[in-house]
Amino acid sequence: MSDVASGGTTNSPQVYPRYDFYGGLTLAVLAVILFATSFLPNTPVPLVVRGSIIVFGALSLAVAFSLLPVKNQQDFYGGMGLILLSLTAFVASNDLPGMRGFAFGPGTAPRLFALSLTILSIGVVVGGLLTTGPKITGYNLRAIIFILGAILAFAASIRPLGLVIATFSTTIICAAATTDIKWRETVIWAAILTAFCTFLFPYGLNLPFQLWPRFF
Amino acid sequence: MFDLVSNLWLGFSVAATPTNIMLALIGALVGTLIGVLPGIGSLATIAMLLPITFGLPPVGALIMLAGIYYGAQYGGSTTSILVNIPGESSSVVTCLDGHQMAKQGRAGPALAISAIGSFFAGCCATVLVAALGAPLTAAALLFGPAEYFSLMCLGLIFAVVLARGSILKALTMILAGLLTSMIGSDLETGAERMTWGVPELSDGIGFVVVGMGMFGFGEILRNLEMKMSRDILDTKISGLMPTLKDLKDSAGAIGRGTIVGSCLGILPGGGAIIASFAAYTFEKRISKHPEQFGRGSIQGVAAPESANNAAAQTSFIPLLTLGIPPNPVMALMVGAMTIHGIVPGPQVMTKQPELFWGMIASMWIGNAMLIVINLPMVGVWVRLLRVPYRHLFPMITIFCCIGIYSVNNAPFDVFLTAIYAIVGYWLAKHDFEPAPMILGFVLGPLMEENLRRAMLIARGDATVFLTRPISATLLAISAIMLTLAILPQIRGKREEVFTE
Repeated sequence: MSDVASGGTTNSPQVYPRYDFYGGLTLAVLAVILFATSFLPNTPVPLVVRGSIIVFGALSLAVAFSLLPVKNQQDFYGGMGLILLSLTAFVASNDLPGMRGFAFGPGTAPRLFALSLTILSIGVVVGGLLTTGPKITGYNLRAIIFILGAILAFAASIRPLGLVIATFSTTIICAAATTDIKWRETVIWAAILTAFCTFLFPYGLNLPFQLWPRFF
Repeated sequence: MFDLVSNLWLGFSVAATPTNIMLALIGALVGTLIGVLPGIGSLATIAMLLPITFGLPPVGALIMLAGIYYGAQYGGSTTSILVNIPGESSSVVTCLDGHQMAKQGRAGPALAISAIGSFFAGCCATVLVAALGAPLTAAALLFGPAEYFSLMCLGLIFAVVLARGSILKALTMILAGLLTSMIGSDLETGAERMTWGVPELSDGIGFVVVGMGMFGFGEILRNLEMKMSRDILDTKISGLMPTLKDLKDSAGAIGRGTIVGSCLGILPGGGAIIASFAAYTFEKRISKHPEQFGRGSIQGVAAPESANNAAAQTSFIPLLTLGIPPNPVMALMVGAMTIHGIVPGPQVMTKQPELFWGMIASMWIGNAMLIVINLPMVGVWVRLLRVPYRHLFPMITIFCCIGIYSVNNAPFDVFLTAIYAIVGYWLAKHDFEPAPMILGFVLGPLMEENLRRAMLIARGDATVFLTRPISATLLAISAIMLTLAILPQIRGKREEVFTE
């Protein structure tokens, strides 16, 4: 369902010259954090997992300082991200008991899936080092900041401030995600949406929403 | 046969009550609306409207949600033909010939044929759902844990094989989905798994959260990167009715499209998008004039439009009979059913026949209504396209937020959705498909449960999956599918299908 906008054309995509430096460094930092958390579980994390985290960090640093050229950024970083996810899962499920006789323990399935994910992701990473592919272009930072900001604003304000204020402010923040924002239109549109939501959800559908801020 | 008739009669008696007819109408209208609007898919809409169904009786709620799904297939074709923008990803192929027909001044017949094809396909699929329902439910009773596990493997493999792009990446997406679905309490022991001590996570992550984050918000982020060009066809649509020759030309294509669509809809991992691609390719292969395809061939409109509607409806079969959602939209239907206290699976048909047959009958009623309301309203839908995206996405965002919040009254869910939005965007940037991940996420707990049971019953003997005949067959089919997909020659052809 990702091809909805296939009728459109992309805005001149932005190429990041130092992507490998920042990308590799981010992965290395995440690896260090994960390594530190691996001392938290009560039972010691197996050496294999710790060793993998170290190798992962070293690989990231090698990429950051261009010791290792990344030919296909999409595959390489995508695969690395998934390896990080499965290593995190190994650390997180470390305290869970595994097989008891022939019965699965709570930890068996997570570790089984994590292991398979690691193996396949290594394949993706190796592919990213060996085959050439498109570079990663044009993160729309403005959209990310305002859309996520709007969602988080809603999450933070719905309980203390009530539906009316939450809806209105979320709509305004969200609308700022495009560059062609027209403020007067936006405010009117936000007011219409707020009115609509206020009537539809609590009155029309009888859902338990608090409308206004809670005063002590 | 007599059973079928009496069952359908029961269904119509449920579906034809004024409330349920109204709900089917609302569902079909909303579906058409979101089908027309590009940038909002049926998955996000169903997730968004889940809270609206809380107050409804279960039958009514499901009738409405089903209406949205097949209504969207109709709406998507309208924009494909008139504006060359697929409103729904399942009508991407309709653009090829539909828009060419519109340019030649034959927009009316194109719209009419797509509506007639959809209606015919919808009717056939309804009968098929009704006819296959009972035998498949009986078959489901033969299924033990091992068979269920193998069937789900087959479904996931299908999702991989039919996804676009790299097979390896699609496989990793499935495993990522399976892995993240393990977060939360363990079903058997109640142990907290991978929750990092966060109490809100002990119930696991809801898939409304995952679906809305990755498809609803993720799609907004991706759309904001594009500049949408909307050259709306301003020529008046004259002569809606197709000529007798048009009807004759497209009759075969409609029939074949319906068959292809119905088959692909039943298969786990299939669905409307793949069905429309497959039907178009098939029609082009067997056509006597393949050179006309892409230049306004009426068969090129009739086949994919019939196929996507047929598939949209037959994909209810695995859900209603086996309890296994074959695609992400059906996974959300599981969510809707669970909210209303219905456990999807073979027991639905025996314990709640009015729900099962009512829903099937409503599909037929819904399809009939769509053909009546859609053709005269084409003008209204086209005008809606002029709503600029900068007004659309704040509306989608706020409805999504309220929708997620109201499922559990939990602000934490909204926060999690934001995380999934960024994950969805990140995955799209790295050319990973989100659909296999959400399918894996939904099937994860079911797969684990059946795997554990199967192993326990077999006393730890993993060969049980290969010694039980049904299970072995299912696994063999999965293995064959996967091998075929990996073979480079076949892969070349696969790419061709999707780039056409």
